[in-house]
Amino acid sequence: MAGGDTFESVDWEETGSRLSTLSRRDWGALLTGLALVAVFLYDYLVLPGNRPTITFPVEWNVTQLDWLFVVTLLALLFYVAIPLYDNRRLTAYYWREFRKNRMAVLSLGYLLVVFLIGVVGPLFLDKPTLALDQAYQPPVYLGVDSTVPVNCVGEVVNGRCQGTMAHPLGTTGDGKDILVLVIYGMQVSMKVGLISTLLVVTIGTTVGTVAAYGSGLVDELLMRYVDIQLVFPAFFLYLLLTYLFGGSLFMFIVIFGLTGWGSIARLVRSEALQRAEEEYITAARSAGAGTLYVIRRHLVPNVSNSVITAATLLIPGFILFEASLSFLSLGDPTVPSWGQVIATGRSDLSTAWWISTVPGVFLFTTILAFNFMGDALRDALDPRQET
Amino acid sequence: MTEPLLSIRDLRTVFHTDEGLVRAVDGVSFDVNRGETVCLVGESGSGKTVTGESITRLIRTPPGEIAGGEIVFDGQDLTALSEAELRDLRGDRIAHVFQNPQGALNPVYTVGWQIVEAIQLHQDVPREEARSRGLDLLDRVGIPEATRRFDDYPHEFSGGMKQRVSLAMALATNPDLLIADEPTTALDVTIQNQILDLLTELQDEFDMSILLITHDLGVVAEVADRVVVMYAGKVMERGDVFDLFERPSHPYTRALLNCLPGRGDGARSIGGKLPSPTDPPDGCRFHPRCDYAVDACREGDQPPAYAVDGDEDHVVSCVHYGPGSDPSVVRGEDEEAVPADGGRAVDGDGGARGDDR
Repeated sequence: MAGGDTFESVDWEETGSRLSTLSRRDWGALLTGLALVAVFLYDYLVLPGNRPTITFPVEWNVTQLDWLFVVTLLALLFYVAIPLYDNRRLTAYYWREFRKNRMAVLSLGYLLVVFLIGVVGPLFLDKPTLALDQAYQPPVYLGVDSTVPVNCVGEVVNGRCQGTMAHPLGTTGDGKDILVLVIYGMQVSMKVGLISTLLVVTIGTTVGTVAAYGSGLVDELLMRYVDIQLVFPAFFLYLLLTYLFGGSLFMFIVIFGLTGWGSIARLVRSEALQRAEEEYITAARSAGAGTLYVIRRHLVPNVSNSVITAATLLIPGFILFEASLSFLSLGDPTVPSWGQVIATGRSDLSTAWWISTVPGVFLFTTILAFNFMGDALRDALDPRQET
Repeated sequence: MTEPLLSIRDLRTVFHTDEGLVRAVDGVSFDVNRGETVCLVGESGSGKTVTGESITRLIRTPPGEIAGGEIVFDGQDLTALSEAELRDLRGDRIAHVFQNPQGALNPVYTVGWQIVEAIQLHQDVPREEARSRGLDLLDRVGIPEATRRFDDYPHEFSGGMKQRVSLAMALATNPDLLIADEPTTALDVTIQNQILDLLTELQDEFDMSILLITHDLGVVAEVADRVVVMYAGKVMERGDVFDLFERPSHPYTRALLNCLPGRGDGARSIGGKLPSPTDPPDGCRFHPRCDYAVDACREGDQPPAYAVDGDEDHVVSCVHYGPGSDPSVVRGEDEEAVPADGGRAVDGDGGARGDDR
């Protein structure tokens, strides 16, 4: 009887009349999500493909990736911003802890700026186009031998071409403005980091908590699947699909988001196993709470601190990985990601050093900022792991 | 006599572990009548907690399993109910309070949220109404300035206050039976008394029965109407609290009472330790530690429950009380006749299940 008991005792049916498994916030998020799906279907099925989805206030033809990004931003709104606002006292407490780490506060400010410019900027800036007559312009306040640019936009002083505010960070060998490229790159990095991490965290947390709480056969099946997935070479799948269909950022995010959650699931499971033994879980069951309710309302909130910490450290990983693939020309050739710009400048390093350096500095500082912030978040949210 | 509220007959709960089958509760029977307090007493690992958790099947399955017996609550056999039917009962008609107030409240929610949850899990009432009822409850269990503290987090409460909050949560739906698993063990003595007083007060007010699980005979003397003494998954003795304290009959009960400081010539611990949970001894479970063990104690199964002095409400599972035996072997002629064999003292905490953290 013991073996067959597993599925019976894990009763997935909730009786209708009682307290819902989903909180009001969950319902809010769900309804907003459904509304979004409806708009997506309208855009996809009704509007002709070449017509922009919205024309006011800016003309914006929403792509598949943009849809995912909007979903991610909404998830951040519902599960980070609103809870922080609702529990102001707890937020104030976390902020006091977080503030102790000055570098982290600085990093947070920097990331917010990158995030906002990255989200909003590309809506107002045209994609940089080829302009060979403006190639190799140096950044403002800096000069370069006047033989380097074909046609110096600024003044030539003592045989050196001076940079101008027209191209504050200079231009590439194709004459594309590096500042605009960097801003587009910010959006790419934010999309890569946030969407992939959202996928990984959602699936990983669900699988981890269900495995830990379900125990027995459920646990065994889920975790053995995770073992298999962890040895699955997602990179080769990506290479194959890139070879067949050409690189695309959407594909990158979906493949690595859907195959990268194994380690998070393991982390969450080990944490949830401890939490599941806590008395408040028994107390919730003794109060008549069902399985899904206990998992959603009692287990998940109690593992969320370690999930958030792990997520902050996952984001830079994804950004860096996308940059390296783009650098190797395995990325999406149509989106100007930082890695791609770094790659285009690498043959000009001796003459036009800024082409690779500027996006490189942005990549470096963004990764660093996420790591600093992850450290401080861990100290604030998860004092047990303090080192 | 009217039907008891809860009637447990021959309950067997086992755990499938890597070391083998653990019979944590092995044939336990007792009743809880309406409005009375029954205490389940025994040392750590004797199966008290598992008995309490078996009633509404709170034990984790697997590895745990209720292998037999019946649990009749208000005319309904709980062992035959589905998980969903049990969920309707849990927290609504049968509520639990746990030992460790630090652990029984979820640290990520305010206490107010948790009381409202306890109400809304069973009753379809609007949030505002649930909130005002929660405030009343907090006030009732003696939380000062309940309105102000409603939105505080558990870590902002002291241990005693947390236990009061747990009690408020348990009482939220006015249960018929409250199962309190060592509700005072983790608290200091002054707070213990406050909580026990509160418990008896609330029992009258809410007209509920209490199954109190404890290892503290002082607590038993204070609140119990009837007592069930457990040892290694078996009931050793069962009876009215006065009978049990006046005429303790099982050698184990007598030994337990002798462990209390201030009785006779000082406290004496029971020698030896609990038998192995996977491989209990034949015969009476207590015989390896019993000073009166005879050959009959070492074979067969646990002796049946014999009435003490013809009193059917006071039964003891000891061969010395069987037909043709002489109970005075155990009782001696006077109260102090228990042989002094407490020298090789260990406190006997080798539990099958760490229910006393």
